[in-house]
Amino acid sequence: MIELLMTMFSATFFVTVIRTTTPLLFATLGGLISDLSGALNVALEGMMLIAALTAVIVSVYAPWYIAVLAAVLASGMLGGLMAFFHLKLKADIILVGFAVNILATGGTVFALAIATGGDKGTSINLQSKAIPAVTLPWLDAIPGIGPVLRSLLSGHSILSWLGALTVFLVWYFLYRTPWGLWLRGVGEYPAAPEAAGIPVGKVRAWSLVASGALVGLGGAQLAMFNYVGFTRDMTAGRGFIALGAVLLGARHPVGAMLAALLFGFFEALSIVMPNLFNWIPSELIQTIPFVVTILALVLFSYRAQRARQMRTLSKL
Amino acid sequence: MSARSYSRWSAVGRETGRAALALLIAVIVALVIVLATSTDPLKAFSTLLTGPLSSNRTIGLWIDDVAKLTLTGLAFSLVFQARQFSMGVQGQVYMGGLFAALVAMSPVGGTMFAIPLAVLAAMLAGAAYGFLPGYAKARFGASEIVSSLMLNYIAILVVNFIVRAYLAPAGSGQLMTKDFPDTAIFPAIIPGTRFDLGIVIALLATVLVWFLLYRTAWGLKLRLVGHNPGFAEYAGIRSSVIMVSAMTAAGAIGGLLGAVFVQGRAFGNIAVDFDGNLAFEGILIAIVARSRPLAVPFVALCYGYLRQGAQLMGLRTDVPSEMIGVIQAIIILLVASSFSLPGRKTLQRWFKPRSRLPAGASAGEAR
Repeated sequence: MIELLMTMFSATFFVTVIRTTTPLLFATLGGLISDLSGALNVALEGMMLIAALTAVIVSVYAPWYIAVLAAVLASGMLGGLMAFFHLKLKADIILVGFAVNILATGGTVFALAIATGGDKGTSINLQSKAIPAVTLPWLDAIPGIGPVLRSLLSGHSILSWLGALTVFLVWYFLYRTPWGLWLRGVGEYPAAPEAAGIPVGKVRAWSLVASGALVGLGGAQLAMFNYVGFTRDMTAGRGFIALGAVLLGARHPVGAMLAALLFGFFEALSIVMPNLFNWIPSELIQTIPFVVTILALVLFSYRAQRARQMRTLSKL
Repeated sequence: MSARSYSRWSAVGRETGRAALALLIAVIVALVIVLATSTDPLKAFSTLLTGPLSSNRTIGLWIDDVAKLTLTGLAFSLVFQARQFSMGVQGQVYMGGLFAALVAMSPVGGTMFAIPLAVLAAMLAGAAYGFLPGYAKARFGASEIVSSLMLNYIAILVVNFIVRAYLAPAGSGQLMTKDFPDTAIFPAIIPGTRFDLGIVIALLATVLVWFLLYRTAWGLKLRLVGHNPGFAEYAGIRSSVIMVSAMTAAGAIGGLLGAVFVQGRAFGNIAVDFDGNLAFEGILIAIVARSRPLAVPFVALCYGYLRQGAQLMGLRTDVPSEMIGVIQAIIILLVASSFSLPGRKTLQRWFKPRSRLPAGASAGEAR
């Protein structure tokens, strides 16, 4: 137990938490945008999986940033596909989302087998690249806290820094720009923006595309930094956990970040625990992120329900 | 609506036409993919389309799949009819499979009560597992989509652990148990094939679900809650009770599928990761069947054929069987959307002044 606490307060654990949080953070922000526009995006999982595979395959032939871009593009296009079927052809958004998930589970294995020449498990024989880590050696020069700062801030993926920035950008976009107001209005009460002449369908469609693009960054981080290479079903429920984080984050970018950090923390815990407690079966350790998600969701929903009841009571 | 009975058969015809067209488009896409990726596209494609009929054994495999697909399709239909997106069938299958295996491996497994008791245990386990997300939603307002998916992952990991650590022969390092005693395995209906009790169970379950949904007060309430929750509340229906009971009943079917998996002649034991992602394919079955229980076996028959063809294509040629995922996604997208047969558009043009409203209304009605 002491060992676990020691690990949890070490700088390397902090770096691990940031690493595991980054894909979740992007997926959560993506889910947040489409949720705010009134379309619950249950395809986060599938989008992330397809983005991860795209990133890996493109990175074999191109520099890492092109691969990241390709992942963003692929995932954004899936968002566009969802928007087309949901808005133009009036399909239920949840069914469309699950169609994308199914496409991803089968399609990625299929594409992987084609790309590797028959390997359906991993992309181990593809020379894929990694996203470079940002090292900050000059932090050492700061007297006193320099080395500590360096151990905490150095070695994160570029995308992790971008993720922190994105939280701010999404917040700024949603609450400080007219388009953000449109988006929230469309999600809140579509009839009002419609009456005001705002193209409701267009706003929803673009928010789904943006949602996909953000998730794509998460997929790239997963397959080009957290793990280098693609393995079958490598997202392993992260997209669904992110969906929980969207609901948990009180539909606000900062809340989304905190929720992603919470789940990232427990995922990191499930990564370090097997080394410390080898008597706990690995399967049970792997259930930790899922159990935590359910518990957090139930607790949060319960509190939100209570708050709603209190509000209606106070109105009476 | 007096036109209801008159229009029923034409509605069935229209839906069948739409599903068939979606299937045709999906098969054409499959052909394009096969042409693009295979070195011997002709063989791959003919295996996809004719493989399941190539021998008695493959026909048996096909029918075995149909039984399983019917059950998962029924489970999804039940929750979809109540407008709940509980995706927990996979978890229920694992839980049901585990409990059926526990009964089959206990002393009871050697007696004549093995099959009924194991099936009952599986259904209870599945029902309990289906109850959880329903209760979490009704009591706390927790989204059933997220909680049921999380429960799936938990069930898979826990059942895999129990099978690997406790049920598999000790020290062998195997990831499956020994075969169950013969009394616990479903008897074959046609000896020597996979044609076993599973398909009978699936058909009985179909009739039962149809009866529950369309011939009982509970079913009427359930469909009302699904169609128009606001009206159901005004009519004095406690929608949370209906919601939870629908998810629990669907859970029982999921658990039953678990028993059909482990006790069927295809397995006769319980292994790690035994469901092969089949449970999720119930989404497709339910959507194409428009959540109508009586249509589910027919859809399962057609889709099962394609699925088996894809498996055989994966085994016999160089095209990976996972291509079926692409076909599946296309079918779901086309059937779930208001995409329609060409010709409807021209009809719509004639009724242009009213075209906006019916388009939205028909999408809502389709559930």
